Formats: sequence, structure tokens, C-alpha cells
Amino acid sequence: MAAPEREPSLGWLRRMYGGRKVAAPRSLAYFAGRLLGAVVTVLAGALVVYVVMKAAPGDPALAVLGENARPDAVAAFRHKHHLDEPFAEQFWTWLSGMLRGDFGLSLTIAGGIPISQLIAARLPITAFIGLYAVLIAVAVSLTMGTIAAVRRGRAADTIATSIAVLGISMPDFWLSYMLVFAFALGWRIFPAYGFVSPTESALGALYSGFLPALAIAAPMAAVFSRMLRTSLLEAASRECVVVARSFGFSARFVFLHYVFRNALIPYVTIIGLQIRYLLGGVVVIERIFGIQGLGSLMVDAAFARDYPTVLACTIVFLTIVLLVNLVVDLLCMALDPRRSA
Amino acid sequence: MSTSAKDAIRRRTVLSAGAAVAAAGVLPLGLVRGAYGATGTLRAGIAGYNVINTLDPGKHSLIPEAYVIWALFNALLKFNEKMEVVPDLAESFSVKDRTTLAFKLRKGVKFHDGSELTADDVKFTIERLQSDKYASPNKGKVSAIQEVKILDPYSIEIVTKQAFAPLLAFLTNARTGTQIVPRKAVEAMGDDAFARQPIGTGAYKIKTWKANESVSLVAHDGYFVKGQPALASVEISLIAEESSGVTALKGGQIDLTSTAPFADVPALEQDKSIKILKQPGMNCRFISVNHRKPPFDDVHFRRAISMAFDRSAMVKVVLFGEGVPSHGLIPPSLAYAYDPKPRETAVFNAERAKAELAKSKYASGFGEIPCLTWGSSWWKRIVEVFALQVNQTLGTKFTVEVNEANTVFQRQKSGDFLASVWGWLGPVDPDEYVGEILSTKGWRNFYGYSNPKLDELAEQGRSELDLAKRGEIYKAAENIAIEDAAVLPCFCSNIHNLMTTQVQGFTQLPYSNFGDQFAAIRMG
Repeated sequence: MAAPEREPSLGWLRRMYGGRKVAAPRSLAYFAGRLLGAVVTVLAGALVVYVVMKAAPGDPALAVLGENARPDAVAAFRHKHHLDEPFAEQFWTWLSGMLRGDFGLSLTIAGGIPISQLIAARLPITAFIGLYAVLIAVAVSLTMGTIAAVRRGRAADTIATSIAVLGISMPDFWLSYMLVFAFALGWRIFPAYGFVSPTESALGALYSGFLPALAIAAPMAAVFSRMLRTSLLEAASRECVVVARSFGFSARFVFLHYVFRNALIPYVTIIGLQIRYLLGGVVVIERIFGIQGLGSLMVDAAFARDYPTVLACTIVFLTIVLLVNLVVDLLCMALDPRRSA
Repeated sequence: MSTSAKDAIRRRTVLSAGAAVAAAGVLPLGLVRGAYGATGTLRAGIAGYNVINTLDPGKHSLIPEAYVIWALFNALLKFNEKMEVVPDLAESFSVKDRTTLAFKLRKGVKFHDGSELTADDVKFTIERLQSDKYASPNKGKVSAIQEVKILDPYSIEIVTKQAFAPLLAFLTNARTGTQIVPRKAVEAMGDDAFARQPIGTGAYKIKTWKANESVSLVAHDGYFVKGQPALASVEISLIAEESSGVTALKGGQIDLTSTAPFADVPALEQDKSIKILKQPGMNCRFISVNHRKPPFDDVHFRRAISMAFDRSAMVKVVLFGEGVPSHGLIPPSLAYAYDPKPRETAVFNAERAKAELAKSKYASGFGEIPCLTWGSSWWKRIVEVFALQVNQTLGTKFTVEVNEANTVFQRQKSGDFLASVWGWLGPVDPDEYVGEILSTKGWRNFYGYSNPKLDELAEQGRSELDLAKRGEIYKAAENIAIEDAAVLPCFCSNIHNLMTTQVQGFTQLPYSNFGDQFAAIRMG
């Protein structure tokens, strides 16, 4: 192979890791490439968002000063926030600040508050609700998907598949209201509105976040279950499974090592894809339950023409999506070492 | 602003307590609810808004900002339950001559920082609003003032350039920005810091403010009204969705809301656990038309459109009955200037509409006329109902064009529109409706409407100090504007406050008041 010639500079790493096979040089080049790609993606994304936002009509001064604002007040606001400078200069000011780790101050939706402070308050909330929902969805789908596949064609399969179809077809905001009516206004087990940040109380977050997490998890659980069922059935029909059986391995061993492990790859991939939805797609649910998530921040900021806040959210979102993609790829490599070759 | 866990708002603490109970395996049925009511706290929800940018009265412009500012500050004057202007920080006031208002201040009024209110603070407040450097969006409220004379620490005279009748209304604790701020504290803190940590004379002072989420207030012990405030604290949640405000109230997470969705009101009125206050608000909702462009440059065409839709049907469909049809801009709650007799050109009349259309330059048809609106809620439905009815009556081609509110406003201002829905909530003086929206130089007149007769009446209205005479002037002015179909008034919508049956002492005023009532609220 020509690999050593292509990557001579990585020899130190191989020496450092001695004979360990895990950090093969090709993977490192792969990560370096990905990192570079990620930085370019994030910056390009920010630029595109910036251009689109500036092209859209609307004025942050109006969002802050309201319709009652007189022209001199508007002019003063625009000058104070450098909105009267040329487009490129504004972008450069923002970019150079961002590269120093300074996202700047919110323009309109939390006037004068550092954006990093807004994001620091909201990121744990989005992460918590997202993980909470994913955990519920994974727990449910692992159970339902596996039962459906193992009991294929029987009553359990039919029930599990029907629940999944129901889960996919129910709009999440509708489900949210149903949950509120039943568990909050009816039985009064959970609060109808309001969410405690996990940074204030973990138990409070688990309790007040249960209904929204359930509403977010339901359609995800349905998708995951169907995916798991399909890939389990597909994996079970592979030749290697037949061979393993013929060796006389126990059904349990064959299922865990030959069927389940292979079936997990598409399953993990689809979970990764859903993370994007968790960032921005759950704004409606955040609104219904009063959750101060990142998605809501970005939507509010976009409506109020809070350019720096939207840009900061874009950067955070893109970074998270790219990180999640990386984690998913790593997991898939771990599940199927052939992929890392 | 603080975000420390110590300052976590009460609601959260209670929720966490509920969580602990739930975690312990005990179903917290009712328990959660019981714990909520048993405190000296009012949990007030500002529903439909979640942005507060400033709590400095002079800089404020958004209604949720006003909702909170009214609790933190007082102005020289205020409106009583009959919407009469009465003293607040002033002990008394009198009209000395046509251009001079004399005020005696209350003695012993304490700001939240313990300092005493004097005439100097009043002078400072007004001059600050007037200054170019401060660039207040509320500057117009005090631009008529020429001088604030301090006679002694408790006596002042406010002198205007000419007689200026709206001034009394502009010095109330409404959406005016003229709430009195302490000179020393503002100068020491600077405007930006003061906007985050405001110091007023109000019944409540600020404790914490979490961006887009909540504002916590605690009682101001030195408040000048004996026996007020009754409650130790107020927790204000900023609830982005109006309907979530309703569920939060029903679920026991809040005690009071600032608004309610029109569609929910009929059902809420059947709910015995909820008190609902409502009345036609100080607002006007209308279709604005661009007089500078065809087809609205033709008065016959405008009149035809104005008579081609049924405003009562609009109230039923759009507001679920929560409002009254309008035939002018001045709302019924400004009783002295409101003419209850319907004006013909603002009443549905298919025959006359067709006749007017036949007289117009565009009798043979005009092509598509996009009418701007925004969102997906009732603002959009106004235009849908308007376009449908007018098209049916006259065969015109009105279409619905959905933008964002911010964009719609900008397009109106720049004249880049033919027709659009618009409205104002909270103006308290008839001049803000007639003078500012309809007169040639009115700053809310983006429409190019100009009629010298109306301009003259608007000028008279501004300088007439006798309320009854002033009212007649505005009635006459509106007669002219509606005859010209300057704008097409649609309706005046109700304002609502929802509260649990425990909340006592909230008096609703038609300009959609809120925080100013916290002082009087008791939990029964």
C-alpha cells in the first residue's frame, strides 16, 4: 500500500501508540479532513445565513423600538449597533469577534445581554430535553422493535407496528396538547406549563420535562421501532446467520452477535439523523410547554432580526450536528470494524 | 440580572418540590396545586409575548415592557376606573393657564433605593425624554413641553409652547414613557444599567430578570399607598404562546394572564374556576390603503371597498364575537370623542358599494390587489374575511399576501403596498388616533391621506382644553375621514384578563393595563 508514503508526518503517532491497532493513521487523516471540512461547513453556513437574513426585509430597530419609534430613535439605534455600516464590514466585525470566542450582544430579543450567556442558559436545556426524549424513544423502540421482529407476523408484531404507525401519524403538537389535557389538566400529575432547567434542579427537570420529552419521543420511537424491526428482519435473513445456526450456536447467541449487532448500524444512524430535528424541529413543543430551548431562541431571534443571535445559534447548531455525525460514524465503526478500513 | 440558583423563581422551587414528591413514589395529585396557592406570591403570566428589552420607561416601546414597568414606576398622573385622569405621584394638579399645568407632588414618596422623590426628578425625567442623545421612542409624548419650572421641591409647573390638550393623558402611567425616574440613580448607573436594574417608586421593585423567561418582583416596603402592596412578591412569566397562558392558568402554574386568545374566550366563560374580565379595548383595527397609488387614489373606489364588507360578520368570524364593529378609529372607551352613530361609508351596503364603484375610475376592473397581513392567527383572518367579502360583493380581485409583522410595517412606512391590515393598541388620547393616523403630517399616516379640513380640526383638537368641546371636534374630524374612506376601519377588539377565583382587586382598564394593578391585588 502507498499509505506510508502519503502520510509520512504521522509516523510519530504510530510510534506513540506502539503496536495498538485502534488509532490507525488512515483514521487520523480521516479525522483531520473531517475537522477541516467541519470548520469550512460552519463558516460557509454562517455566511449563507447572514446573507439570507440581511436580504430579508425587516429592521431590528423596529423590533426593539416598536412601531411607535420615531426616525431619530431608529437612526440612533442603527448607529449604536453598527447597522449603518457596509454589509461586509458588519460581517467581518462579527466574524472576528466570533473567532476570538465573543458572540457579541443580543440586539433585539434580549437587548444588551451577551449571546454567550443566552446560549449557556439554553444549551443545557435543549441537551437535556433532547437526551431525555432520545432515551425514552430508544427504550421504547428497542423493546417494541425487537418484539415485533422476533414475533413477526403474530399479534405482538401487529400491535407494535400499529402503535408505530399511530406514533408517526400523530402531529407532535397535537400529542402535546393531548398529554397536557390528560396528565396536567385532567389528572394533574404533571405541570401544564413551565420547565425547570436541569442546572437548577435535576429532579425538577425530569419531572417538569416528562410530558414534553414524551411528546417529542413518540414519533421518534415509532420511526426507530420500524427501522429496528426492518433491519433485524433483514439481518436475520443473511447467510451468515444461517451458517451460525448450522454451527449449532444457541438462538440467543446468534440473535445477539449476528442479528442484533448488524441491525444496530442503520438504527444508530437514524438516531443520529433525528438529533437535527431535536435542535430546531421541536420549537412548537418548546412553546407549548414554555421550554427555553435553543430552537426557540433562534426562531425568536430570526423574527426579531437579531442577526448576531441567529448567527451564534447557526454556529452552535452546525457544530452539534457535525459532532453528532462524527459520534454516529464512530459508533458504526465500533459496531462494524470493516467500516474504519 | 442574576441567574444564580438562589434566585430561582418560586414556580420552579415548587415544581422541584413536586418532582421530589413524584420521585418518592407519592402521586402529587392536588399537592402540587395546594402548594402553589399557599404563598404570598402572585404568579402573573404575560401571554403572547416573550421579549422584554428594557425596563427603562423612557426607552420602552413593547407592550410586555409596559406591563412590567407599570408595576415598578408611577407617573405624575394615572387613569382611574372611569378612565378619568387623576393624580398619582402628584397630590393635585391644576390648569393654570392655556399653556401651564401646575403640579403639587406628594411628600415622602420613596424610590426603591430609599431616596425621596422631588420636583428635580420630575424635571430630569421630562428633559431626559426630550434629549436627542437619549433618543427615546417616547419623545413625542413630551415634545410639546417647553419648560419644567421647579417652584419648590414639591411644586412644579409644566409649560407648553402652545395649548396642548393631550399632555394630561401623556403624563399618566400608561404607554407613555413619562414614568418618573430618580435623577441620582440614573446618573450614577447610566442608561443601560438602569434599563436592566430599574429603580422606581412603584409598589414592587425588581429582583431578577431572566431574558425571554421571567421577571421577579418583590414588594417595595416604602410604597406611598397605605396597605399596599398586599403580596410579598410577583413572579411574571413570559409565555410566548397565548394558548399556553390559558393552559398554565388552568393547570395552576399561574394566577393571572395579560391576554387570552379570542377563540378560547367563549369556552372559558363557562369555566367556573376562572374569572374573566373583558371590555372593548383602546385599539383600532383597520385596512390601510395607499392613497398615492391606483386604485386607492380614487375616493369612489375607496368608499366602494369600505361599504363592501360586513364588519359584524368579521367580528363573529375573526374574533368569535369578542369585539365591536368600527365605523371610525376612536374606540368606544374614549367615550367623550366616540360617536356611537354608525357612519354610512363604514357600514356594509352592497348596493351603494356597487354604485360607488361604477362612479370610480376603476369601474371596469383593476386586476389583483394584494392585501398584506402576517402570521397565521386572527390578523390573517381579518384580511381573508375582508378579501372574500369584497370580492364577492364587487367582483374585485383582492388577494391575501402573508409577510411578517415587522415586514408589513416597513412596507407600509416605505409606501411599498396597496392595501394592508394594521392596528394600534393602547393609545389613550384621541389625538393619537385622529391627529397621528389621519392628519397630513401625522407620523402614523403612512398612507398619503391628506385633507386640509381634517388637519385643521386635528389642530383644534390638540389645543382645546374643554373635554366636551374637544370630543365634538374629533367626532367631526372622523366624519370627514370616514366620508373620504381614508382608512377602512374594521373593529375594536376586546381586551381580556384571565385569573383564578382567588385573585382579588384587579381593575381592568381599556388600554390593557396590567402591572399597575399588582399593588391592589390580594389572593382571596
